[in-house]
Amino acid sequence: MKSGYASAVKTTVPASPIDQLEADQEVITKVLAGDRNAFGILIQRYSDPLYRHALGMTGSPDVAEDILQMSFIKAYQHLSEVRGRFDAWVFRIVANGCKDWLKNIRRTHLSYEEDDQATSYATPEEELDRTELRDDLDVALAQLPPSLREAFIMKHVEGRSYEEMADLLGTTVGALKMRVHRAREALQALLEEKYA
Amino acid sequence: MLDRHNERDGRTERERPLRPSDEMGNMREREVPLAPVATPDVINRWLDGELPEPTGLRGDAARSVEFWRRLGEETDKRRRMMTPAHLPNKIMAALPPLATPQQSVAPWYRKDLRITPMVALAAAAALFTLGILAAQALLR
Repeated sequence: MKSGYASAVKTTVPASPIDQLEADQEVITKVLAGDRNAFGILIQRYSDPLYRHALGMTGSPDVAEDILQMSFIKAYQHLSEVRGRFDAWVFRIVANGCKDWLKNIRRTHLSYEEDDQATSYATPEEELDRTELRDDLDVALAQLPPSLREAFIMKHVEGRSYEEMADLLGTTVGALKMRVHRAREALQALLEEKYA
Repeated sequence: MLDRHNERDGRTERERPLRPSDEMGNMREREVPLAPVATPDVINRWLDGELPEPTGLRGDAARSVEFWRRLGEETDKRRRMMTPAHLPNKIMAALPPLATPQQSVAPWYRKDLRITPMVALAAAAALFTLGILAAQALLR
């Protein structure tokens, strides 16, 4: 019986990847036949995990939106070139978009905007403390090399399994474990004085 | 990173032996100079979902568990983030006309040849001119 942190991590692997592949292929066929609105199904299906990835990598909701929009437009324009899994293909477009942005932008300070989700923190002090952690985590993540940040976000924020990460990034499970472990060490070094 | 002056396990920071990760001085791609904090294997395995949450740890390891439990609350919240509601419609509105494979990849010599009266007339005039030029060249 696993408990605590690990059990809270849910993977985003679909129940049946083959069904998912066929369902996506069906939509792609419709779009290529001229049903433009069918592309909206693919956006609805995959935008959430892709948005979380872009947001985690860039730290900016506005930039994440832009990257997602550009990526889906690119995917739409090259839809006839999809071979295999659409979700993996569009993930790579988004991931490359994030890396390109990181190469070109020197950030000073970025933080998440307040979202409208209800919190379970009872007192203003607790909420303030939590907001501070959120901002500090953003700053710490921004200091990690892109490959470590990417691995940490895919594991801890997106909740993907190492196998799925390896599939999406075209690398080995061992290499990804190493990246995640290094990211943890670096984050803990940056944040432990305040939070440990 | 600042030195710690609080004593935890009876020794100061300077007196404690080097941890394994302290020797990983050649961490590639590092953008900031960090003194890595050792994350014990048992904690990494817990965070990777391979082991239950470790209990009965003391000192640095116990602090690490507490640290990651706190960070886990934040990452859990981020995992529930959704795409802004307006974004799918915005993307759909920005989609350009779809280029069909035929339009995008067919080379010019494979495209259908359409001959209009104007094209035929221009081609005939060009051939006539070429003929005159060729004849003049031969008669010289």
